[in-house]
Amino acid sequence: MHNSTTRRMKAAMSKRKIKRNTIGVLLVLTALYLSLIAYFCYAVLFYGSRWFADSYNTRVKMDETNPRIIPGSIMDRNGVVLAETKDELVKNPTTGKDEKYYFRAYHNEAASVAHVVGFNHSKYGRMGVEAFYIYYLMGYNNSLIEKIYQKAFLPQERGNDVVLTLDFRLQDYVSELMRKQGKRGGVVLLNPKTGEILTMVSYPTFNPNDMEKVDDDSLVNRATQGLYPPGSIFKLITAASALENIEDIRQRKFNCTGAVEFDGERIQCYKGEAHGQLDLAQALAVSCNTTFASLGIEIGWKDLLKTGKKFGFNDDFLFSDIKVKPSSLSISYKTSKQEMAWTAVGQGRVLVTPLHMAMIAATIANDGVMMEPKLLYSVVGRNGNIQKQLKPDVYRKVLDKENAEVLKNMMVKVVLEGTGKQAQSNRITIAGKTGTAEEGSKDQPNKNLAWFVGFAPVDNPTLAIAVLLEDVGQGETGGTQAAPLARKVLEKAVELGY
Amino acid sequence: MPAKQYEILALTMRYWFVLLILYIFVRSLVSTVRYLSNVKATAEESTGNIPFVLVLFALTAFVLLSLNGELDVLTLLMGILVCSTFLFQYLLLCYLFGGIDRYLLLMVDTLCIVGFIMLQRLQPALAFRQVEWFGLGSIFLLLTILYVKFFKHWDKLNYPLMIIGLGVLILTLAIGKEIGGAKNWIQIWKYNVQPSEFVKIILVFVLSADLKTNKNRLRRLPVLLFTAFVILLVVLQKDLGAAFLYFCLFVFLYYIATSDWLIAAGASFLASLGAFISYHLFGHVRTRIAAWRNPWADVENKGYQIAQSLIAIASGGWVGLGLGLGSPHVIPASKTDFIFAAICEEMGILTGVSIIGLYLLIMVRGVAIALKARKPGDTLLTMGATISLAIQSFTIIGGVVKLIPLTGVTMPFVSYGGSSMLVSFGLLGIVQGIAIKNSQRKQDKDAQQHYEEDEGCDEQEED
Repeated sequence: MHNSTTRRMKAAMSKRKIKRNTIGVLLVLTALYLSLIAYFCYAVLFYGSRWFADSYNTRVKMDETNPRIIPGSIMDRNGVVLAETKDELVKNPTTGKDEKYYFRAYHNEAASVAHVVGFNHSKYGRMGVEAFYIYYLMGYNNSLIEKIYQKAFLPQERGNDVVLTLDFRLQDYVSELMRKQGKRGGVVLLNPKTGEILTMVSYPTFNPNDMEKVDDDSLVNRATQGLYPPGSIFKLITAASALENIEDIRQRKFNCTGAVEFDGERIQCYKGEAHGQLDLAQALAVSCNTTFASLGIEIGWKDLLKTGKKFGFNDDFLFSDIKVKPSSLSISYKTSKQEMAWTAVGQGRVLVTPLHMAMIAATIANDGVMMEPKLLYSVVGRNGNIQKQLKPDVYRKVLDKENAEVLKNMMVKVVLEGTGKQAQSNRITIAGKTGTAEEGSKDQPNKNLAWFVGFAPVDNPTLAIAVLLEDVGQGETGGTQAAPLARKVLEKAVELGY
Repeated sequence: MPAKQYEILALTMRYWFVLLILYIFVRSLVSTVRYLSNVKATAEESTGNIPFVLVLFALTAFVLLSLNGELDVLTLLMGILVCSTFLFQYLLLCYLFGGIDRYLLLMVDTLCIVGFIMLQRLQPALAFRQVEWFGLGSIFLLLTILYVKFFKHWDKLNYPLMIIGLGVLILTLAIGKEIGGAKNWIQIWKYNVQPSEFVKIILVFVLSADLKTNKNRLRRLPVLLFTAFVILLVVLQKDLGAAFLYFCLFVFLYYIATSDWLIAAGASFLASLGAFISYHLFGHVRTRIAAWRNPWADVENKGYQIAQSLIAIASGGWVGLGLGLGSPHVIPASKTDFIFAAICEEMGILTGVSIIGLYLLIMVRGVAIALKARKPGDTLLTMGATISLAIQSFTIIGGVVKLIPLTGVTMPFVSYGGSSMLVSFGLLGIVQGIAIKNSQRKQDKDAQQHYEEDEGCDEQEED
């Protein structure tokens, strides 16, 4: 009797345990499913447009002989048509009849905007705006009523026109400058207040009207897809981090002896020159490596990484208008002292794109607020109705106003009395920072990079620029190569009223 | 109907389909919440107009599909066939078993009907075969219900079942056919059968029969060994999805029955070790992982499947491109593993989310039925079936949307495939069988209570 009661009690206990565990499993499985739903919605919301725009999406491929939808045109901000759909009669080789043949035609001088506008070609696929804005160009954003109207009453459906923020005149001018310079590279000019990209040039370029003779190297959009060591322009980030993390930095004096050693690794100033006593602003003006290397170690990887992340390093850059390769700043607790020192002067574990550097210059010009880069000015529907209009978005609040102001003044000093003297203009006031990154080895001495980032006019910046030139030889620097080019571009932009 | 008119019709109708699916989902959700909050409730709640809405959904979809191009009478007939098969199955089961969980049945049928519509759009011949499988599956459902309800001594069959399970898997390894990278098919007569699907049911029965009694670890050894061998065999067949499923089934059931963290954690450790080793040993595992981490790095080869799936989902948008207006044929395996992407493309992400939601509700109702079961063995059996269905649908949908690496398992009730359909209905049969038992017990109890009240006797009832 007694025995059976205990057995029953035991059974009841185990039953209760089983039920408790069952509820635990229920919670685990529910969590799995909820995370599946959450991830699904998140992925579609944030990456959906990118997946759709992928060049492997055959749904939006343009049919050459019988297109269901005719893609719209692409224009610059002043209405210059950069790309449109044309048709011509071509004799069909098999039937011998004349048939309409549709193709994308580009502006005569399209080579200067080739990387931005890209191409939509039956054989070579899609690239640039032609790929990324295919959603609008093919009219996928039309309302149900518009779609039904087009299907019912039009012989062929029409996609929408896309107006870019680019200024074709400026684009052409910069492209010409780059061609004369003859060096590979990229230039990005944007409005720091709104993030509008006014010019984005990559050299060498190609002619989208004649895709037969294009090599892979010229297809790369260096402004958004090229990752480069930033060299001395990264000192802006190091300086920003120092301003945020070291209290007495603005009063502090450094002593430069021309070289400094960390654990046996020797870091020299340019040409081994000793700069002597100097403060942070002067150190930036003369681009003193030893000062910034020791500053980098003083700040430490944690705080430098924090500042870098605020500036957008290691971020996926999910901009709505443009695809940009993420810049990387790969420092961690494992990073050695030497690597930290090199990174602080932009030469170690750090890679950037020219567009991102232009955004960083724009942030300093715009009181520490980083705007999202915008390339889409508007989307214009069939009857000229505007379906989407540029709306500036704040990407991040990076610096407080005071530190941004300090950095701004430091950059003014670089151009006035430092390495950026050749950017001085008698028409506008320019501030900036030069950089020369070493990519070459002893066998290939002409493999350095010349950088200039800056903004103008100083008192009310409306332009921010980044210039990158590859294949820079021995003795050539960002100051001698990139700075004059930046000055010309900025002068032209002001002349055009930006 | 001319192409343009059809396009206009399909564009407009997509809102209608999304609306109906959402309606069914919301009604099921409300009912499930009510069911959970009321401890005493059984599953016999009225389902209102859901069967009607479901028939409406199926009919309109098939009528729409039949209008694509020349009026297709076969498609129309197919629609009528689908509706009548569904109504016959639903009404018959409700008539035979008063205590059947109607919402559970309806949710499963909703999934099946979405599958029929998509298959009809992709390849009509397969849709017809799928309806056949649905019919056979329903018979299988009926048989499992009867088995679970009336056959009390199923634990006596443990050893024969174990031998059968191991036997078919070894046989598959020996004479199996390789389809889609995994050697897990056997050809019987003219059908390709996937034995690893059927072993799933065997595993559910064997595990719950063994775990319902208290034993020390040593005496569980045969079952532990059986589980280990089964997993090893499917890994050798390169069927990683099935291996993952068996493993989850074992860990969850074992933990529920014994609260034994040690074995569960040890098994998880062994599994991670196994996964790590197979990552370094087998090329196909590495390929899967690489394709999952970044399908865009090698879109043309390794990442092709997932990339096309994601592109299709993104092209559909919230309400889809409209039935017949997308190009789901571009997606590889769009009728089986990737049918979720095809559904999302043409019927919308909202439909996709509703489908995930329906799987979630099926799981929740399954667990609720398990909690109401009286015997520990019944609880474990129901949980086994529920976990199996839940993990399988999670694995495939998660793989298709790139949450987890892709493993080739079918989407229960939706993907084309006879083995999958039969086994999924078998698992549903287990859950329904216990639900019927629960409700019958409750009825008996109520009757007894009435009787006792009438007698004016307040004797404690025994449970």
